[in-house]
Amino acid sequence: MDADILVIGCGPAGIQAAIHASRKKASVVVAGKQSASALSGALIENYMGVPATDGDLLLSTGATQAREAGATVTGMNILSIRRDGDVFEAVLEDGEPVRSKAVVFATGISRRKLGVPGEKELFGKGVSYCAVCDCNFYKGRRAVIVGNDSEAAVSAEMMTSYASETSWVFWEEEADPSLISRAKDAGVSMHRSRPVSIDGSDKVESITLEDGTVIPTDGVFIELGAKSAADLAMDVDVMPEMDDSIKVDQGCFTGVPGVYACGDVTGKPWQMARAVGQGCVAGTSAADFVKGLR
Amino acid sequence: MAMEINTADFEAFIASNKIAFVDCWAPWCGPCRRMGPIIDELSQDLTGKAGVAKLNTDENQGLAMKYRINAIPTILVFKDGQLVNTMVGLQPKENLLDVYERLSE
Repeated sequence: MDADILVIGCGPAGIQAAIHASRKKASVVVAGKQSASALSGALIENYMGVPATDGDLLLSTGATQAREAGATVTGMNILSIRRDGDVFEAVLEDGEPVRSKAVVFATGISRRKLGVPGEKELFGKGVSYCAVCDCNFYKGRRAVIVGNDSEAAVSAEMMTSYASETSWVFWEEEADPSLISRAKDAGVSMHRSRPVSIDGSDKVESITLEDGTVIPTDGVFIELGAKSAADLAMDVDVMPEMDDSIKVDQGCFTGVPGVYACGDVTGKPWQMARAVGQGCVAGTSAADFVKGLR
Repeated sequence: MAMEINTADFEAFIASNKIAFVDCWAPWCGPCRRMGPIIDELSQDLTGKAGVAKLNTDENQGLAMKYRINAIPTILVFKDGQLVNTMVGLQPKENLLDVYERLSE
């Protein structure tokens, strides 16, 4: 798929960016899952002119508006992105590449913590948030990947090349079916249940699931949601701040040609009103940039 | 720039610096790539005061095992040749300078 602009994230910032860029006649592809937006499941009571409204309704209406304006809303996360000269090449969960001239990061704030007992205490003692960083330390040892999305599936498959036993714990089937099959074929053992605790005193010894299963393991890799926005940003030469946010100027420009960011990922307040406002700016800036290239 | 050390010169490095910071990293690790410039700055700030070096855990797996490193970036902190602190995950420079201040008192 070729597009002028790839928008990563389909919360209020990403959708508004897509609407504005599309209306400026740029071709737009939107990646990301509605359910990952902070707006999903929220009741919005502080948005000017809109009486208390369900966040999911706002998101789906917004996605329809973006489609009507001409954008392609994929509903899929991206697995990777890289720059090839002036072109960005991203890969969607189903393997389809998206080539674009500009990228808008509207990835929101990352929620990567599982929030179970043992997670914080055993960080660095078997608990990791980056399978690709730490897989090498698990050669011949046992590893458990935790997460519902494609990123977890990819991590589980990769881990089989290192660990003696790889298990994958998920509770909702959000990953692309082809990636689930690949993990299965690679020998990953699947457990469909929510983790309730990570156990061990000085190091990880096991993980306990809601259905009562206890999986003995040396490592627990927490891979929630899409690939980390900070990692994606670095892959297009944008250095995130220490808190994982992306710094932008008043035009939502990151300082790296063709790369824009908007919404919660650029900072506080984490509010829909700010996200929508910045989405408008980022979509307009990106469309202007792409037009300048023509 | 912080110097790159390896298994051969590791012991000499921690022995020759009263206080030594070793940033354990690998090239494909995103948070490590963010740690890198911070470590370089730390090295500059502590010139003449403490040793600051980087250790590639992929090329020095024995040392990674010896120090029970399971996640990177990990910063190992030594004083008088003894391991006194292991800091896991991306660290702001202020944290590292705090550790230095406490150790140098």
